[in-house]
Amino acid sequence: MTCEQTRLLIGAEPDTTTAALLEHLQSCPECSRFRDQVRAFEVNIRRALEQPPLSSAAAVPRPAARRQGVPWRQWALAASVTFAMFAALLVWLLRPSETLAREVVAHVESEPQSLLATEHVTAADIAKVLRGSGVELDVASDRVTFASNCWFRGHYVPHLVVQTTRGPVTVMILRHEHVGSRQRFHEAGMSGVIVPGAAGSMAVLARGGGVEGLVDVEHDVRWLPHGRS
Amino acid sequence: MRNPQPQSPVSSITERLSGPDARAPITRLFESLRPDLLRFAHWLARDRAIAEDIVQEALLRAWRSRDSLKDAGAGRAWLLTIVRREHARLYERKRLELVSLDEAIETQASAGDAQPDEQLFALRHAIMRLPIEYREPLVLQVVGGFSTEEIARELALSPTAVLTRLFRARNKLRVICGMTAAPDVLGSEALP
Repeated sequence: MTCEQTRLLIGAEPDTTTAALLEHLQSCPECSRFRDQVRAFEVNIRRALEQPPLSSAAAVPRPAARRQGVPWRQWALAASVTFAMFAALLVWLLRPSETLAREVVAHVESEPQSLLATEHVTAADIAKVLRGSGVELDVASDRVTFASNCWFRGHYVPHLVVQTTRGPVTVMILRHEHVGSRQRFHEAGMSGVIVPGAAGSMAVLARGGGVEGLVDVEHDVRWLPHGRS
Repeated sequence: MRNPQPQSPVSSITERLSGPDARAPITRLFESLRPDLLRFAHWLARDRAIAEDIVQEALLRAWRSRDSLKDAGAGRAWLLTIVRREHARLYERKRLELVSLDEAIETQASAGDAQPDEQLFALRHAIMRLPIEYREPLVLQVVGGFSTEEIARELALSPTAVLTRLFRARNKLRVICGMTAAPDVLGSEALP
């Protein structure tokens, strides 16, 4: 193999290990170094693709090309668009908590590994995830088996899983989501509550019916006074 | 037409089935693979709601042609292929004019809080910025686990063309992430 062929193969298939490739690498330190660089970067690519992409409006369809029209039509169109935007904004602002609950459940479903984790998270890692969230967790760290900051509704939010007698219970601190009152929900085989907090709200949910066992976890989350986060 | 309220494609299928069918192995297969399919579709479409629609359509299509799946071990690749084709079909059908990704990313970036892992965040942006001809083979390879030959068959390209695209996809990511590009070993053809 030539250096060019080797680098093409490494750049395209970083994990490939054909005999010809290995033979070339043994005699070519530059290609060997190139392979180390590509493989190190590949770890990050795989980590990046392990999660869904950042939610975006990247594929929002745009209206077709504008056509020339008489002025009153343009004004009518503008008024309609303004009204539609206002209505959409109103709907968005008044969106029911069911939508929030559905998105929380969808998020948990999209991270099934969070419920399967068995090794406990260190107290330092829990503190790191909760930093800036406005809450503290009164739970022994050996009961927490997952702690991560997850992208949710345009913000990174703490996502934790606490082991309880009813199994793993997910807690998401939703500092940017405000609900007027405590809301129970059942969605896609999961049950939970969304509870208003001192700043924002939090969702506590688990597989199965009923909200028994969730209240204890809910009480383990302590909202900090404003200014202490 | 996009669903106003995306629901689980699996649940939408099982709701249409009666009794024993709902617990059939094929339904369990769909259910177990749904998160992977959704992530795969999401990276292709770059939009959660569209990805939900794609997966729902793909699972319905797969359900109708379930008899063609002879080997359950090949189920993942079979479903990923259906999802990819559904994504391609959606864009052929609708020919959507897309909002500039730069605008979308800038809007998000300015609205975002402090990121826990800036490098990973930047890389995810970079993958989002990749043109579909580079993003698609990369996602097929890394998320779908397809070999170069399988990607070539699926995209109707030669294996060499797939290798080229995969090489350039990673090279573009290096550049977008501020790293030095590897020399384009593919001759004088400039990177588009």
